[in-house]
Amino acid sequence: MRQTFKRSFDELRNIVAMTEHFFADQGVDPSLRNVVDLAIEELFVNMVKYNTESAEDILLELDLQDHGVKVSLTDSDVERFDPRDIGPVDVEAPLADRSPGGLGLYLVLKMVDSIHYEYRDRQSKITFVAYGKRTDV
Amino acid sequence: MFEIRQDEAGRVVVSGRLDAAHAPEAQVFLDDLAGHCVMDMGALEYISSAGLGVLLRTHKRLLADGAGLKLVNVNHHINDIFTYSGFDKLFEIEAAPASG
Repeated sequence: MRQTFKRSFDELRNIVAMTEHFFADQGVDPSLRNVVDLAIEELFVNMVKYNTESAEDILLELDLQDHGVKVSLTDSDVERFDPRDIGPVDVEAPLADRSPGGLGLYLVLKMVDSIHYEYRDRQSKITFVAYGKRTDV
Repeated sequence: MFEIRQDEAGRVVVSGRLDAAHAPEAQVFLDDLAGHCVMDMGALEYISSAGLGVLLRTHKRLLADGAGLKLVNVNHHINDIFTYSGFDKLFEIEAAPASG
C-alpha cells in the first residue's frame, strides 16, 4: 500500500486512516499498531519540521514482512539526514535538565526492530520494520 | 480524534490520540491549570513525543509553583513509552488496572 501526503501535521489523521486500513486488510497483529503509528508520526513530523526547503509530498509505503510490517517514508529534494546518527538522549537526567523535544527519533530507534537509510539524488528514504507476535509457530 | 476536559472532581481527562496535530490544543488547555493536577489517561489510546513534550512542560511549570502533574489510569502501551523516555522517574504514575 502506498500513498503520498502533504507536508502538514493535519495529514496525521489521514496517515492513521491508512495504517488502520492496512492492518485490517492484511490482518496484522494489532499489538503492533501503536509502535508503527508512533514511528511513522515521528519520522513524518521530523521531515515536515526540518526539511523545509522541499515542497514535495512525502511518500509512505506499507508492506507485510514475515510476521511484521515494513514501512518506508521517502522525502524528495532534501538534504541527507540519517535518523540513526542522532546524538545520545539522556533519559536518566533529572527533571531540571529535561526539556520538551528531542525524544521522537530516540523512541523510534528504541521501539522498531530494524531501521535502514538510503540517500540518492536528493531523495531521503527511511525504512523500518516492526515485528509482532508469531501466530504460525 | 483527541479530547481534553476537566471532570466534576477537577481531574483532567484526556481521550483519543495525543499526537503532533493535537499537542497545541492540549498545551493551551493545560496552560490554564494551576495547583496539583491529576490527569486521567484511561481513555488515551496513543501518545507521541509531541504529547510527551506537553506533559513535561506542564509538569515543570506546576512544580515550579510547588505542585505537579500526576498521571493515572495509564495503559500498558503508554506506560512503555513513559519508561523508554524516562518519564517514569519524573512523574508520579499510576497504571490502569489490568484488563481481562
